[in-house]
Order: sequence, then structure tokens, then C-alpha cells
Amino acid sequence: MNDMLAGEISSVAEFLAHALEMEVESAERYRELADNMEVHNNPQVATLFRRLAVEGDAHVEQVTRRCASIELPNIAPWAFKWTSPDGPESPAMEDLHYLMSRRQALELALHNEVRGLAFYIQVADRSLDAEVRQLAGEMAREEHAHVAMLENLLRREVDNELASPGDLDPPNMPE
Amino acid sequence: MTTVALKAKDYKSGVKPIWCPGCGHFAVFAAITRALAYLELPKERVAMISGIGCSSRLPAYVDSYGFHGLHGRALPLATGLKVARPELNVLVAGGDGDGFSIGGNHFLHACRRNIDLTYIVMDNRVYGMTKGQASPTTAPDWAKSKMTPHGTGVRRFQPAAIALSAGATFIARGYSGDPKGLTHMLVEAITHPGFSFLHVLSPCITFRPDQRSWKTGVHAFAEGPFEEPVEAAREIHADDGLGLGVLYAEKLPVWPPHIKPSGSLAEVEREFLT
Repeated sequence: MNDMLAGEISSVAEFLAHALEMEVESAERYRELADNMEVHNNPQVATLFRRLAVEGDAHVEQVTRRCASIELPNIAPWAFKWTSPDGPESPAMEDLHYLMSRRQALELALHNEVRGLAFYIQVADRSLDAEVRQLAGEMAREEHAHVAMLENLLRREVDNELASPGDLDPPNMPE
Repeated sequence: MTTVALKAKDYKSGVKPIWCPGCGHFAVFAAITRALAYLELPKERVAMISGIGCSSRLPAYVDSYGFHGLHGRALPLATGLKVARPELNVLVAGGDGDGFSIGGNHFLHACRRNIDLTYIVMDNRVYGMTKGQASPTTAPDWAKSKMTPHGTGVRRFQPAAIALSAGATFIARGYSGDPKGLTHMLVEAITHPGFSFLHVLSPCITFRPDQRSWKTGVHAFAEGPFEEPVEAAREIHADDGLGLGVLYAEKLPVWPPHIKPSGSLAEVEREFLT
């Protein structure tokens, strides 16, 4: 498991600020990726990303409920304590390709979901605050269910790359 | 007047970007919106100006004032706007072709004047919008384009060195694959008084798939930021083109100077029209 946590999270408010940022960014990212795949005529992957965005919205709602009546600290975008360039659950934009298959998209989503899980587990393991450890543990268990869902989808995925016609007008064709 | 604290997504216009999936410009766009939200800049106090090219589509995607101008002419447009409306935060966006080739002359003079602009150049070392030709920052031996089958044979334009020698007072280099660092640099660039030049390595994975290797090649500048041009020049000389960080930051008077006009408009008219 990669080390996803830089430093220590020492209060429930700080932890929830991280969780909310991570889940909001992930849901928004999947929505943007879905839009982008639609623009580039990859409807299968666009539909998958759209579904993952909706799942992400549900996570955001769960975290938002936990944040009720807690004043969250305002953390600068570069000061979040994860080691990944973006939030652990957000796919990096540069990992995409317009011809990517559903399987590749699911593998990408699983990779990021596992990173999110690792983040919660590592907070639960390392925080000196008992309440943070407990809350992070609960969220790690929820995240585990999301990982299992993606693994299941991946197992059921039928490879159809061979049937794909590819791009009949690829970008590097001579002018 | 905006009164509610805005989040990064509030600075997105809702127009869907048409950049290729995997393009570095998405991360630059996200970093810009995060920086604007962090600085709590009201939308009506921000103007995004651009020229032509893939990266120059940004004004359509950012929910602020914007102007998608002529090829290479983003900086003169932005200069005029800043002089007329000094209270605006004027951000200028473009690519390596737009900024360093057709707009190269404007780049020199914007640096020299030290106008309070933030110039973000998304450099992918290729003309992407026109299907992959060599740009001023392309290596001389890049031979993947049918237009230059043996490479251009021309030495690369060195943006940081030229910005420094032309008088820019803030010079930094970021990378789209490091959105946290890029956001931080953008905040510093926007708040810097004077001309800030932010050179962003933003891969074009469609026409330059080799740029995926930037992820493992980028590194922090050995030192910096410097206040002395000579020290910054030494760092640039040792640079392999993949160094990241704020290289140079110096506070100098911003143009135009705040001095009273030497005559009234009527007097000027009399001088020229009579």
C-alpha cells in the first residue's frame, strides 16, 4: 500500500476538511472526465465516469452530514496532507486517453479508490487523536465497500477492445 | 457584487473544454480556479485574456470577464485593459507558439514595462491546434512532424532566460502534473506587484506522447527564488528545462507610474490639432 499521508491529522475538523475536499474533488473530476469523453465520442467510458460521479456525490453527502455543526478549517489547496498531486481519489487528467476502454477506465478508478482507502487507513493508524482514529476507521470501511464494488465491476467487464475500430482519422496523420 | 465565498468550481463557466483527454491544460485550468478561490477574488474583478491556440480557449472556460483575442496579441490587449481598468486582476493565458513566436515581441516589452499582469504560458513544445508542428520551444532534433522531418535544426527559445533579460520581475516554472505546487505558484504570481511570468510545462499527449516522461523528469530548482538577476541567470544556465519553482522575484515600480498628467486633455488636443 502506497504511503498517501504526509504528516499527521490531529483533529476531527482537520480530518473532515480533508475528507470533504477529497470526495468533492473526486466527484467533480469524474463529471469533467465524463463530459470530456462525451466531447471526444467515447460514450461507453463517458457513461461509466458519469456513474462514478453520481457515486461520488453520494460520498460527498455522507461526509457533508458528518461535517454538520463542525467548523472546518480553511486549508490552502497546496497544504492538504496527502502525498498525491491531487486528492487521492481523483484520477490524474494525464492518465486519460480518448480511445481508452471501459476496462482501462475501471482500472484507473480502482487505482484511485485504493489510494483513497489507503489514506483513510493511514489516518486511522497514525493519528494521535482517538476520535480521528475512530472516524477514519469508519470511513475506511465504507471505502472498502467502494473498492469491492469496482473490483466486482472489473471482474464482470467483457473485453471488447478487439472489436473497437479505433480512430479512423488519428491525430498524427500527415496533413 | 459577489458576497458569498466562492469555491473553485464557481469559477468554471460550464462551457465544456474540448481539449484532448489527457491534456495538461485541464490541470492548469483547475489550478487557476483554485487560486482564484483561495484569493477570494470576485469574478467581476478578474479578466482572462488570451490569443489563439489550445490553451487560449481558457477565457471561455473561466467564469470571469474574458477576451479571446488575436494570435500572439494577448499581451497588448491585456496591457490596454490593465491601464484602463487598473482595479482588475488581469490574467493572460496562451501557449508557446502564441507567446514566443508570433507574440514574442510583445512578450519582451511586457516584461520590460513591468505592467501588473499575470502571464501564464502553457508550454507543450508543439502547435497542437494545427496538428503538431514544431514551436519555438521544440528541441531542434524533434522530427515527428511532416513539416520538419529532420527536425527544425534551430536552437530552442529559452523563456525564463529571455524573461529575465527583458526585465520581468517574477519568473516561475510549474508543471500541470503538480497541481498543488502550480496553484501555490499561481497565487504568488497573481499577488506579485508587476509583471509575473509563469511558465507551465503542460504536456500535449496527442502530438507529444513522449512528454509523459516529464512526470519522472521534473525536479525542483536547486535554489531560488532569487532577488538578484545574476544569481537567477546562473540557475537558468544550469537548468535542464524541467526545473520547477519560483526562480526570480523582485519588487520594482509598476508601470504605469502613478503621477499626475502634465497637461489636460484639452491642452493635448490643442497641441496636436491646431
